Amino acid sequence: MEALLSLAAARTALDEGGLTSAELVRASLERAQALEPALHAFVRMRGEAALREAQEADARRNRGEPRSLLDGVPVAVKDNLVRSGETTTCASRILDDFVSPYDATAISRLAASGAIVVGATNLDEFAMGSSTENSVFGPTRNPWDRSRTPGGSSGGSAAAVAAGIVPIAFGSDTGGSIRQPASFCGVVGVKPTYGRVSRWGLVAYASSLDQIGVFAHSATDAAAALERICGHDPRDSTSLPEPAPQLMSALTGDVSGLVIGLPREYFDAAGAEPGVLEAVRAAVAELEAAGAKLREVSLPHTPFAVAAYYLIATAEASSNLARYDGVRYGHRAAGATSLKDLYLRTRSEGFGAEVKRRIVLGTYVLSAGYYDAYYRKAQQVRTLLRRDFEQAFAACDVIATPTCPEVAFALGARADDPVRMYLGDVYTVSANLAGLPGVSLPCGRHEGLPVGLQLLAPILDEATLLRVADAYQRRTTHHLARPELA
Amino acid sequence: MSAAPDSGYEVVIGLEVHAQLRTASKLFSPAPVTYGAPPNHSVHPICLALPGVLPVLNRRAVDLAIRAGLATHGEVRRHSVFARKNYFYPDLPKGYQISQYEEPVIVGGWLDIDVEEGGEPRTLRVRLTRIHMEEDAGKSIHDPAIAGDGTQVDLNRAGVPLLEIVSEPDLRSPAEAVAYLRTLRRVLRYIDASDADMERGHFRCDVNVSLRPRGSGALGTRTEIKNLNSFRSVEGALRAEIARQTGILEDGGDVVQATMAFDPDSGRTRVLRLKENADDYRYFPDPDLVPLVLSEEQIEAVSASLPELADARCARYQADYGLSESDARALTASRALAEFFEAAVKASATRDPAKPIANWILRDVQRVLKERELEIEDTALAPASLAALVDEVEAGRTTARSASGLVAELVERGGDPVAWIRERGLEAVSDAGALEAAVEAVILEHAADVERVRAGEQKVLNFLMGQVMKRTGGKANPQVVRQLLAARIGVP
Repeated sequence: MEALLSLAAARTALDEGGLTSAELVRASLERAQALEPALHAFVRMRGEAALREAQEADARRNRGEPRSLLDGVPVAVKDNLVRSGETTTCASRILDDFVSPYDATAISRLAASGAIVVGATNLDEFAMGSSTENSVFGPTRNPWDRSRTPGGSSGGSAAAVAAGIVPIAFGSDTGGSIRQPASFCGVVGVKPTYGRVSRWGLVAYASSLDQIGVFAHSATDAAAALERICGHDPRDSTSLPEPAPQLMSALTGDVSGLVIGLPREYFDAAGAEPGVLEAVRAAVAELEAAGAKLREVSLPHTPFAVAAYYLIATAEASSNLARYDGVRYGHRAAGATSLKDLYLRTRSEGFGAEVKRRIVLGTYVLSAGYYDAYYRKAQQVRTLLRRDFEQAFAACDVIATPTCPEVAFALGARADDPVRMYLGDVYTVSANLAGLPGVSLPCGRHEGLPVGLQLLAPILDEATLLRVADAYQRRTTHHLARPELA
Repeated sequence: MSAAPDSGYEVVIGLEVHAQLRTASKLFSPAPVTYGAPPNHSVHPICLALPGVLPVLNRRAVDLAIRAGLATHGEVRRHSVFARKNYFYPDLPKGYQISQYEEPVIVGGWLDIDVEEGGEPRTLRVRLTRIHMEEDAGKSIHDPAIAGDGTQVDLNRAGVPLLEIVSEPDLRSPAEAVAYLRTLRRVLRYIDASDADMERGHFRCDVNVSLRPRGSGALGTRTEIKNLNSFRSVEGALRAEIARQTGILEDGGDVVQATMAFDPDSGRTRVLRLKENADDYRYFPDPDLVPLVLSEEQIEAVSASLPELADARCARYQADYGLSESDARALTASRALAEFFEAAVKASATRDPAKPIANWILRDVQRVLKERELEIEDTALAPASLAALVDEVEAGRTTARSASGLVAELVERGGDPVAWIRERGLEAVSDAGALEAAVEAVILEHAADVERVRAGEQKVLNFLMGQVMKRTGGKANPQVVRQLLAARIGVP
């Protein structure tokens, strides 16, 4: 359905086309169901609840009291955000039938916006992965080529938007988990500044890196959605005090005089596939043609970013996941003979291989005698990376890079090579380590598959970030391309 | 006395106290701090470590920690950090405890403690290493009556705010350790930082103890005895552990660093775990919390809200009221007692009321409180009532003995002592005519004593006065009796 292909289209259909939200949500649910065997983007649908909420949205619109641009629009949410009275799985066996008694802040803000959550999307277990293969429910497939990964860990949300099931979806980005699947699936994916969106109710992977963000087809749609979930939340101590940014009004289409920084380390010939670099260079040239200036900048500590990321993220994860012990909720192994046996069996049965790998790695990183060599050093690298960006942003307004060194790879291709999988995060992890906002937007194809352009901006400057993204999309059509699906 | 006085070893003790902060809610969650609530009824998703929850620091707990730091002369650090202490246990819901590790909120400081050992009172300055905030764990219940053959977990206590106060190894005997704990407890109660109710586990202690040859500057290998929750158990545990270590050293052995437990029934310590088996807690800064940054203004505000501390008050009582040091110290032992004293002095109509009121509080009132195991703030006795009673005595309208008999009742149910004196006929008898018969009788009965008074033995006059008081049922005005006796015997 046309109205599912963008927020703008949905809005037009609802406000002017005589379509009801109930009809739109039903269409979304039907498309999800039809594509589910092929894509497996969802772990759970909210059919009845979503239709009921859609009727309420219709009533509001009929009264002339819509809550926001999202009111009555079907959206999807990664299954690591909790919602009162419903299960949240994180694609893990360890959470079993866990039902939350409370709402994540992002969920309650979405409810306040009138958006209709039609279902929870698939992910790598506890958001650990770059392919959505590490899910207890099985992998999600890329709508552009079902033999390939949609990326991860928010692969389900990226695929749901790319496949036209929902115009907007939400995910979380710890080291690239929104931007990388957005790149692989040919959609827009925004990771806001760390602290912009409350983490209250986001099941933690790595607390100092996790950030909730959004998938859409266009920068304008993403801006509209982001405005609804950003802003201070007293329940998250790391939430920034600034109010939600006014993003829609910032999308002027004008980039004249803006300086786009091109970090030389990211355009290194040894890094990305030539076809990816070519598409990204063409995109940058397009921005130059629109009036932006290009400037080479340097981020000299980039080569240490992936290592620092995997030390910090796994250290935090090893502690964050200690609560899944079989004592209070979630999976508990049967037949344990002692407390230690209960822990061992519960966690051995409950966690998948990648989660176990990261818990073991993180435990090691923090252990006595290794803390200084690994964790402390990684934090020092983090400080240096922040300084790199501060210096670079003294000379430019936004930074442009490839989102990933490659296009979507084949399912299973990296399953036995975790280090190679980790190295694919080379362009995305720095933004998390430095807390910066970033976006990936489609900028062409390589081998028939979407290529992502990544833009990064200084802390809190989502407005300029999305202004550049929107200006690019006003001049190009890559974001209008849709995969052919049955 | 030192517990190993003849062994040739010096005892070195350092203490870690966990004091529960007096807050309405938990350290990182809005769940109320309760006592005796049904299990798992004083909890919130944060205390249960449900997926997605985040801690938010209780600012009241921070203010109380600052108070404790100021009251112990420590440095309140402008920047401190909460860290995660990671270990698995069923009553630790997150799998880590939020504490402070490399960067505590308070460093340094000291407490002066009064020690009476070997009959000679002295003051000892005990240095503090640090004070930090942390959250309590829950409670594992192994009682078969409740838990059957398993274990049940009660998380009411999980997340309750604690202050950990670490002393330097400045203590040299169990008596000094107990004196330190009593002083620390009093200070924390004084500033309302903690109720420090030991019965309720608000004030728990881990002790570190080692022995070294007398004269040696180096520290010996120490053991740590965990979780002692009464002064008696601290003293008992220290005595037992000192004896154990002395025995080992005297036999030429080596003390092994270990964590110990004390069994009060057997009076012995036993090894819980050896150092080489100690947990690796994998401390790291909690990424869910931002560093605690304190402004000068905030510290000033807390400082301004601090009550006058015991030492300052004690000095003031001596300077302004001319009280003895021991009386001043006794009156400032608790803030409630000091405030009671000051209110009574203010309410009194007597010209210089401080000394008599101090005497009445420290003798009669304290005696009743001790008998009934009460604190002054738990009684019905109003400062104005005590002042009125003292005024009656000082003005000679009743006698000390009559007044003394009213104190217990005032403590128990309060009331108007002036009215009681009227109603019960406890007015002092000052009428010379009414007293002369008694004086005459005493003189006749104690002729020999009368002669001794005439010979200049002033003290015996007091004895004779006592005899008259006895005959009048304690109601005679002592000054009038004295005048009558002196006149009748013929001495000035």
